[in-house]
Amino acid sequence: MTHPPPPPTRRGISVPDLLVALALTALGLALLLGTRQIPFGINAVVGPRVFPVIVSSGLTALGVLLTVSVLRGGRAEPAAEEDTDLEAPVNLAAPGIILGGFALGAAVLTTAGFVVGTAIMYFSVAWAFGERRVGLMTGVALTVALVTYVAFTRGLGLSLPPGVLKGVL
Amino acid sequence: MEALTSLLAGFETALTPINLLWALIGVTLGTLVGVLPGIGPALTVALLLPVTAKLPPVSAFIMFAGIYYGGMFGGSTTSILLNTPGESASIITALEGNKMARKGRAAAALATAAIGSFIAGTIGTLLLTFAAPAIAEIAVQITPSAKFALIMLAFVTISATFGGSPLRGLLSLFLGLGIGLVGTDLQSGQARFALGRPELLDGIDFITVVIGLFAIGETLYVASRLRKGKSDVIKLEGGATMSKQDWRRSWGPWLRGTALGFPFGAIPAGGAEIPTFLSYTLEKRLSKHPEEFGQGAIEGVAGPEAANNASAAGVLVPLLTLGLPTSATAAILLAAFQQYGLQPGPLLFLTNGDLVWGLIASLYIGNVMLLALNLPLAPVWARLLLIPRPFLYAGILVFSTVGVYSLNNSVFDLGLLALFGVIGYGMRRFDFPVTPAIIGVVLGPTAESQFRTALQQSNGDPSIFVRQPLTAFLMLCVLAALTVPQILKWRARRAA
Repeated sequence: MTHPPPPPTRRGISVPDLLVALALTALGLALLLGTRQIPFGINAVVGPRVFPVIVSSGLTALGVLLTVSVLRGGRAEPAAEEDTDLEAPVNLAAPGIILGGFALGAAVLTTAGFVVGTAIMYFSVAWAFGERRVGLMTGVALTVALVTYVAFTRGLGLSLPPGVLKGVL
Repeated sequence: MEALTSLLAGFETALTPINLLWALIGVTLGTLVGVLPGIGPALTVALLLPVTAKLPPVSAFIMFAGIYYGGMFGGSTTSILLNTPGESASIITALEGNKMARKGRAAAALATAAIGSFIAGTIGTLLLTFAAPAIAEIAVQITPSAKFALIMLAFVTISATFGGSPLRGLLSLFLGLGIGLVGTDLQSGQARFALGRPELLDGIDFITVVIGLFAIGETLYVASRLRKGKSDVIKLEGGATMSKQDWRRSWGPWLRGTALGFPFGAIPAGGAEIPTFLSYTLEKRLSKHPEEFGQGAIEGVAGPEAANNASAAGVLVPLLTLGLPTSATAAILLAAFQQYGLQPGPLLFLTNGDLVWGLIASLYIGNVMLLALNLPLAPVWARLLLIPRPFLYAGILVFSTVGVYSLNNSVFDLGLLALFGVIGYGMRRFDFPVTPAIIGVVLGPTAESQFRTALQQSNGDPSIFVRQPLTAFLMLCVLAALTVPQILKWRARRAA
């Protein structure tokens, strides 16, 4: 029987937490710089720049506070969700596959068509969640994509790109 | 008794066959998404917004209200049979209800949750019926500066006062406010943070943000830490029923839970989590069998479930009378009103009385429908928990894609969706609450416009925010909401 690793000590600085805190601070600073490109506005007591300056200053200040708290040993606990197991090793490949499939599906959505695009997305999520019955997955993916396409275009009158199915449906 | 007359007119609107059908679709969908993991009422309403744009507003809102209440009913089924709460307000139900189910008392646990939800929902809707018009009458006179202060108070209580970490809650809020700023400023016509992209000039659609943060973020996060092995769903034979003794032990907790839940929902106190915990503690103290608590005490399911549903009704009070959402779903409902060109707030009762009262009447009807759907059909809903996760989450992602793509028929929006999905993943991994960000996106523009109107009326004199009495009082509340919990925490730590 393997024992779970001991909980990390509170003293060490968590590098991922630090990166998140610094990224938020940087985002605040970037927005603050971005407010310089907003004109003051004419004939207005409060121009379009005031509120963005308040928001981006606030974000920067909070980012600095978070950085300080991380440097003092603070770290975040991952959220517990319905289907997650916090003890399981983190598998970053799975979200990578989902994002890759999503990007591929979105890239071909207008050319190959909505059905092909969303079927690719469906397949990649199912694969990332550990399903390996390729034939079944392909069948379900195409069915879901096709039914969604027909329901939304015929039933709700939306226009979705037909792509390769142009003229068929 | 003006409220009664208006309510009767509302029933006339809600009881037409077509609106009854929308209510039935709403409660069925709501229960469905409440039961299914990975998707909740907030996300469902956001997904449906693009496709309901052609419906008459009354019908759309009757359906949305059904989804809102239905989600609460469905959530308890998951908690009891699977012991995995979908939201923090169901933690207690999962704790006691699942223990009951493991002892073979799943039917009683489901029944006390459903009947308690029905009673709390009905009493809550009754309170809403009479409180809302009264509050709306007062709220008409609120000045822009006080309106701004009120929004500030909602911001602070939702993100800082009642959350786990005030700093993370506020960061989430400011992230949402920043997202809400992107696009053309309506008062001056100037582009802000658009990065020269024409797609960003219209602003980022909140639907994209909500679906990205909730659906895509959740899918990515669950994929990275998926629970292996078969899920441990408790089998359920027959419908949800309970014995005479269960009734005797449940009615007190139902009423006390309702009394706790409604006011907590109505003030901007960050959702149903606190009243459910309070109700649990109270029932444990009052019970003749405190030793059963933690082992499956029916009072521990009845009270918190009632508190949860009563607070859902309470949330509608500030939403309808002040235009102030205090939960993620309420924020989406607010945005839905805006999509129809309606501004919730005191004037809504005057300008769109038939819509508001039709909506309130449909809440009564929806509650009855939900009771009928949930007691005998409990085993059907329970079977939904057996859907294999790969197919479930893949379906959620495809529907999210359709919802966002159909907004503008733009692949650029899908890129934004993926971006917010990654942010949603990060927020779960690094313990940032999602609700403050949603509230920030939806309410930020209103906050800015009230802020500017207030300063325009005072000719740019910022002392308006401390001179106007109601504004000053609300600003003091904001300050207290920020500092008091910190002081209490600091004193508790020093005492320990």
